[in-house]
This record gives sequence, C-alpha cells and structure tokens, in this order.
Amino acid sequence: MRPSERKTYDCAPTLNDTQVLDFCKNGYLLLEGVVPDEINQRATKYLDEDDFYEPTGILAQDWFVENVTLNPVATGAVRALLGADFHTPVLMSNHRVQCPVADVGGWHVDGNFDFALELNYLQVFYYPQDTPLELGPTQILPGSHLVHNKARFMSHLGSIRGAVPTAAPAGSIFLTAYHVWHRRGPSTATALRNMLKYFYWRTTPPQRDWILEESFDFAAAGYGSPIASIVEQFRADIKVAELFLWLCGQRDSFQNLGGQSWPLPGHRRDTPYGFPAALERSR
Amino acid sequence: MTETQQKIAADLETELAIGTLTTARLRQGIADIVQSSGNSRQDLLYLQAANTSPHSQVVGMMLIREGVRSEGGLDAEKWPYQTVLDAVREGWRIISFPNMALLAMDHDDSHGLGFEFILEKWS
Repeated sequence: MRPSERKTYDCAPTLNDTQVLDFCKNGYLLLEGVVPDEINQRATKYLDEDDFYEPTGILAQDWFVENVTLNPVATGAVRALLGADFHTPVLMSNHRVQCPVADVGGWHVDGNFDFALELNYLQVFYYPQDTPLELGPTQILPGSHLVHNKARFMSHLGSIRGAVPTAAPAGSIFLTAYHVWHRRGPSTATALRNMLKYFYWRTTPPQRDWILEESFDFAAAGYGSPIASIVEQFRADIKVAELFLWLCGQRDSFQNLGGQSWPLPGHRRDTPYGFPAALERSR
Repeated sequence: MTETQQKIAADLETELAIGTLTTARLRQGIADIVQSSGNSRQDLLYLQAANTSPHSQVVGMMLIREGVRSEGGLDAEKWPYQTVLDAVREGWRIISFPNMALLAMDHDDSHGLGFEFILEKWS
C-alpha cells in the first residue's frame, strides 16, 4: 500500500509520561525543524502551483505523506497522544498569507470544538518555510484548551498575558488540542507564508501505552498549567489531572475530594488525601 | 473637556497671562472649543483583569484610539497599564464593570478571559 493510501497508521510512541502530561498542561507541542529541507522546498513549490486554501491534493503525494503527515517525529508524538492506529489526515488547509499584514488575526477557537476533558483528535500545523516573528507565526495561549470560550465572544480580545508566538524554523510541526485559543500574529517582512493545517483522530480507547517513566509518580506529579492566572485557584490542576487520567485510561479512577486533597500541589507528609488507589505512586 | 479643548483653553490662559489675549482671539478660541466638541471621538480601552478588583493585574488589553485598533505587544510587562487603576489615573473613565452574573456559572467550568473593564476617553 502506498503511504498516501493509508487510512490509519501505527508506530512506536515517542513521548513519555512527563511529555504527555506537559501536553495536557499546555495544549500544544512544538516540534522544531523535523521535516527535511528538500521536502520543505518541494512542499512550497507544490503550494505555489496549488494555492487554493484547501490544497488537499498534496495528501495524494507520497513524498509529502512520508515526510510530513507520517513524519517519524510527529507521528511518534501523535501515537503517544491518540493511541494505536490513529486516523490520518483527510483534508489539508493552507493559511497562506502574503506578508506583511500589520493587523493581527482575531483570537478564536476553531468551529466544531468540544471542551470535554478528552483528547480524541489533534489539530496540527506545518511550516514549510522559516517562520520568524516577522512572518506572523500563529500565536497560542498555553493552557487555554482548559478554558471555555466561543470565537464570536473573543473578537475584542487583543494582547493576552502569557500568549506565545510559534516562531519556528522551516520544517516545524506543532500539535495542538483543537480548542486551544490561537490567532495569526502581525507580520512585518515581505514574503509569502504558508501554514498547512490538518487533523489526526483517535480510533482506539485511551490507555497509558506511551513511554513509561520508572520514576513517574502520579501523587507527586505537578498538574499546574500556565493558564492558572486566569482561572479559579487550582482549577487548572484539577482539569489537567482529569485529562491526564483520561489519557491513561483511568478516568473512572479520577476523584477530587476537595480542599487540600489530590491533585492539588503541596508539601505533604504522606500520600495525598484522595489519591486514587488505582494509580501507582511509582514503578 | 477633551484633550483638544484643554489645549485650546491652556493656550488662551497663556496668552492672558502674558497680556497678548485680544477680544478677537478670545472669540476665536471659544469658537474653536465649541467646534471641536462636535469632532470629538470616543477612545475605548478594553482591559481584562485577573479578578473583579481594579487593583488586580491586567491579563489582556485592546485599545481603540481615534478609530484605530492597537494592542500592547507580546511582552505584557511593557503594556501601558498593568492594572485598571493605572489607566484610571491617566484619565480613562470606566464605563463597564465585570459582569457579576458570571458567578452563576458552574464552579467547575472556566470561561473567557478574566474580568473585563471597558474604559473611555474623548479626544
């Protein structure tokens, strides 16, 4: 079967416990320069010939599929987050911008979102060219996948404390929780910027089958998120823990007994009160 | 009085103080002040704060001045106002306070960006 004919894909996961937990906290993962330059140039040339906003035909190109959508580094991370036999992309969007564009895009969550504490699909971006600040890389608000919002309620938002630009070299891929808040950054350089966007879906129930860390301790792990400053105290920790346990296939074990109980951070003299019995302290 | 009107008045006071103010100049100054009131524009400042207090840290900002939208940039420490009160001290008037109906929401859910104050100035 040709690479471009694959509907699902499996490979070894490349993220460990800490990295999966970090994704739960941040809602995105940036993989810098993982696509070879030759492929970046070929993709750019292809996109010059097919400048439609949905150049889905590129998914029929084996050279592209092998090196981008089935890129070993990216798929290893996708495998860790979405489990075995995840579904491969079926549609390609291109946020192609003739820079400079002085205005920033509006903050938004993309349509058809679901703020449930689950991770059943990933929205992924690929920059085929160097994308420094001057080319207006997408800005993301880390941890905002934990905070409900609607795109039409966000149009008046401007600068947000803690927002980060995804400035990255050519060949970078970044994985996002679909409903993380994001927008196009302002650009000042004169150049054409492509940014391809596509999806992967989970096809199997979640389980902790990524790289296990011998020393990982569910009781002592920190569940804090960078979004903590705009939500009620500890609410981000609780949401991160619930999402992480869902990914571990342990949602039924999750409990929050209130006050100083697990999963709140703290310097405790013993196992945190309320720590689920089904979880391991360490292996 | 808008900033433009304040400047016209200040110029008149200066001329009065140094003895150069004439009747014609005074009439012109008054006419300029009256005319400029019809040209004044509302500037808006949206500040999202960390909690309901105007003392609390600003976590988001957007400014519309003379009809042009602008922001504070990626480095929040360089934003012009770190609290809502910083803006009030510079002459901004609060015209909308955070909606306390947000309290009615499920405590398990987090919604939106902070607590929004909307402020105005006339220029």
